[in-house]
Amino acid sequence: MAQTYKNLDCRNYAPVDVAKGICHVRKQLVLADGEACEMFEKLPKCKHCAKYTPGEEEYLGTCAASPGRPMTYPDLIGVTCEWFSWKDAR
Amino acid sequence: MRVSRKLSQVLEESGIPLDYQAGGTSPEETTDREVKREPTPRAKKLRDLYYQTLSSATNEFPYWYTRKYMELDNEVPVVRRALALKCAFSHLTPTILPGELIVMGKAHYYRGSFPMPWLSEGYYMAKEDELYQAALDKGSASADEVSRFGTGGGNVIRNFGNVVSIAGKFGIRQEEVPALLRVARAWVGKSVDDLGHKYEQMVPGYDIKEAIMKSVVCMFDSGYTLPQGREVINYYYPLQYGFDGLITMAQEKRAQVAGHPDGDGLVGMNRLYNYEAVIHVLEGVQAWILNYAREARRLEAGEKDLVQKKEYRDIAACLEWIAHHPPRTFREAIQLCWTIHVAVLNEDAISGLSPGRLGQVLWPWFEQDVEAGRITEDQVLELLECQRVKFTCLDCFASMGVVGGVLSGNTFNNLSLGGLSRDGAPACNRLEELIIEAAINCVTTQPTLSVLYDDKLPELFLLKAIECVKTGTGYPAFMNNRVATEFLMNHYGPEGMKLEESRAVAIGGCLETSPCSWNRLTLNGKRYWIPGGSGQPTSVGVHFISLPKILELVLFDGVDLRTGLRVFPAHGKRLETYEELFEQVKAYFARAVAVLSLTNNIQHDIWRKNNSAILNSLLKPDCLEKGHLINELGTRYNATHNVETCGTANLVNSLAALKTLVYEDGEVSLDELREALRENFGFKMAIEVGSYSLADQEKKEGVDQYDRIHYRCLTAPKYGNDDPTVDGILREWEDWFCAMCYGYESLNARPYYACQISVSTHAPMGAATLATPDGRLAGTTFADASMSAYPGTDRNGPYALFTSATCWDHSRSQNSQMNLKIHPSAIRGVEGARKLSELTRAYMRKGGFHIQYNVVDSRMLREAQRVPGQYRDLMVRVAGFTQYWVEIGKPIQDEVIARTEYEGM
Repeated sequence: MAQTYKNLDCRNYAPVDVAKGICHVRKQLVLADGEACEMFEKLPKCKHCAKYTPGEEEYLGTCAASPGRPMTYPDLIGVTCEWFSWKDAR
Repeated sequence: MRVSRKLSQVLEESGIPLDYQAGGTSPEETTDREVKREPTPRAKKLRDLYYQTLSSATNEFPYWYTRKYMELDNEVPVVRRALALKCAFSHLTPTILPGELIVMGKAHYYRGSFPMPWLSEGYYMAKEDELYQAALDKGSASADEVSRFGTGGGNVIRNFGNVVSIAGKFGIRQEEVPALLRVARAWVGKSVDDLGHKYEQMVPGYDIKEAIMKSVVCMFDSGYTLPQGREVINYYYPLQYGFDGLITMAQEKRAQVAGHPDGDGLVGMNRLYNYEAVIHVLEGVQAWILNYAREARRLEAGEKDLVQKKEYRDIAACLEWIAHHPPRTFREAIQLCWTIHVAVLNEDAISGLSPGRLGQVLWPWFEQDVEAGRITEDQVLELLECQRVKFTCLDCFASMGVVGGVLSGNTFNNLSLGGLSRDGAPACNRLEELIIEAAINCVTTQPTLSVLYDDKLPELFLLKAIECVKTGTGYPAFMNNRVATEFLMNHYGPEGMKLEESRAVAIGGCLETSPCSWNRLTLNGKRYWIPGGSGQPTSVGVHFISLPKILELVLFDGVDLRTGLRVFPAHGKRLETYEELFEQVKAYFARAVAVLSLTNNIQHDIWRKNNSAILNSLLKPDCLEKGHLINELGTRYNATHNVETCGTANLVNSLAALKTLVYEDGEVSLDELREALRENFGFKMAIEVGSYSLADQEKKEGVDQYDRIHYRCLTAPKYGNDDPTVDGILREWEDWFCAMCYGYESLNARPYYACQISVSTHAPMGAATLATPDGRLAGTTFADASMSAYPGTDRNGPYALFTSATCWDHSRSQNSQMNLKIHPSAIRGVEGARKLSELTRAYMRKGGFHIQYNVVDSRMLREAQRVPGQYRDLMVRVAGFTQYWVEIGKPIQDEVIARTEYEGM
């Protein structure tokens, strides 16, 4: 089954606040937790990164990019991360 | 069933109504403000978006800061912090919204902010977390318990969907919370709060400090809550040299000082590490700006609308230039100032970082661009309106007690106007008129405006300012330039302040007179003097001491009846004379300042050792030249720690009531009065009523034995009526208070001084105080500010109030504060504007430091309480700041409604 994504996982989503943002493609306010549309483009986040390992606790994981594998979390945005690399094909 | 009688009814029946109207009669129908305009479509769209935006927190900056910091064990502390800051700045996600001209923000949300657990890790942990419980035990939660946020606007007061509410104001995404808690735990035992607490307990008499905090005699510790702020930023160095130039300068200096103590065996060697830290932080800021530039390029590439495409392109070009070089145009200069401003706010928890005399700082670019036809005044106006929206989007993340109880959610970015130039000429200019125009068109809470009033300022400029007052935003406030410069000369004279330099003064935060200096700027070969901040933060010190609470403790021999805690050692006096009573008030106050100044010094010392300001330091003369940051007194002026008070009018009124009723007329014995206070004059306690608001207080059924005493207390002489007896009490207090502060030494080995603003503390501090001898009921707000009369008690008109307020020398204090509420009809038209101008001038000429006006019909405020959804954009002046009505707590709302409303002049 194809994975569904939320708007806040989309590269075209500009967050306004914790609940909503502006879609740069559709030029309108959309809900953060709303289902992404067909123009969805995956936003780099730790959960999509090859160096990310999920932890036992929900919303926590580790990053293999630094010594000691520091804690990180799946929804940390990675557009500015020098170590980010896609885990899977987009 | 009988309905309990409300305080408002009791007062009405006593002939002293709660909502007193003076000086005339207003029209019967609700009157709106006279001046109402619209911003440009672009600014309106951005402002409308703000109205829909929730206050949002993110873990991004704390995560990267903490990750880097924890990697760097044993690095020199200032370099360790610099590298952590660089890492955090470099990793912030850039967000640019369509229509924005001025870009960049604290976080990737429009109204974003983030916690700084390296200052204090406890307050944003969820309530079930054991660290939060430990914080409760330390007393820091006491102010939280009595602080109330407004429930409307952008405050996230409860969890919803995937959003978690923190501190009653900020929303954070649920998926970030576990990581936030992990980051917070990394700082347990290491934060400024925890380390400061460890060492402050070594101060003899620390138990008194604990009791003071738990009983809300004092409102908060500044060392780990808001260690910087209420100061004036200085944009000069980046504007003149650009970031590349500053990095080069720091590299050259680093080479000069490496290994050289140069006669200073204590901190001379530190200069090497300081310059190294400066370079890292500047590189982090550059990376942050360039990330935004890349985002603008990305958006440009995907944008189909040609106008928007060009705007993204212009944004990118602007950012790519200012990331390295000094600005060439007004557009680049205003963007750079904004960028620097946000960068400093991201470096530390800061409230009241004021842009200062921005219209004079940006004047060189404005003058040259307009003259060369590179920009029109309309384009400048649009940029200024957009800048207002950006400033309004700023949030400060701190605990409920601080953000709600002290700040009412405000961030106090005060923009100063007018004043005098270096050579004593009026300093106002055309750009400042446009700044006022932008504030009239685009009414927002930030930046608030302050006119540095001088008799030399042109009348037309003052009338422009009055026009803005008529919008009802509460700004500009008027500050007395003469009094301010006298204060600076007196207080900073020992650090070298001269008259010429004192004229660079601007207001930091609400109304903190701040030391500034002139800097020589050259643009295209033309030379200018521009003003900017040159002192340490003034948000630091003993904040705030509740004066009515001190009196209460005197009356009850050092015990806080609300909590049952012994706060001060028993004085054991019978208080047989008024003089004995007053002396004991001073003695307890001095005891509080003595212990709080010591614990405050320790907290700030921990802060400056581990959490030093690097970016804010390098901006301030003379840190870059000396190689010493703020923590090593690199700044030109360092005597900035102060003692702040709250509830002056209630203290003075209470002393006046005691003097007349108990000691002179003998109508009431002290014991009878004590009992009446304990019994809240026969009213229910606020906690029982379920509200701390004045209007909601209810009488107990069948309890009337205190009615006579209450009536006499209410009708005893009150401050604000040109009454020599009451004014004499105020004068004695002020003369003593302003002098006593100089007996305490800050960690910078400089004397403390007096600071007299209430911000919003008059609500939570009132909530923690029993009934007072002036007739005020337990739990209700104190009078706002320091020179405002208690609501409804100034019965002889504004000029009598002015005479009372100026019975002492305001230049002995960093400030004083006076709020007047005026019905819009009282200042309508040209004639009304001139009346308000004359009223302002009269107060300034009498020596008053500050006055500001709430131009509003109280009926509109009541209506806004009833249907807040229809008043999202309604703003009022609270104390030294303007806030959206729906975002302030009900006790403050009620206090603003209750203030005396002048309906004629």
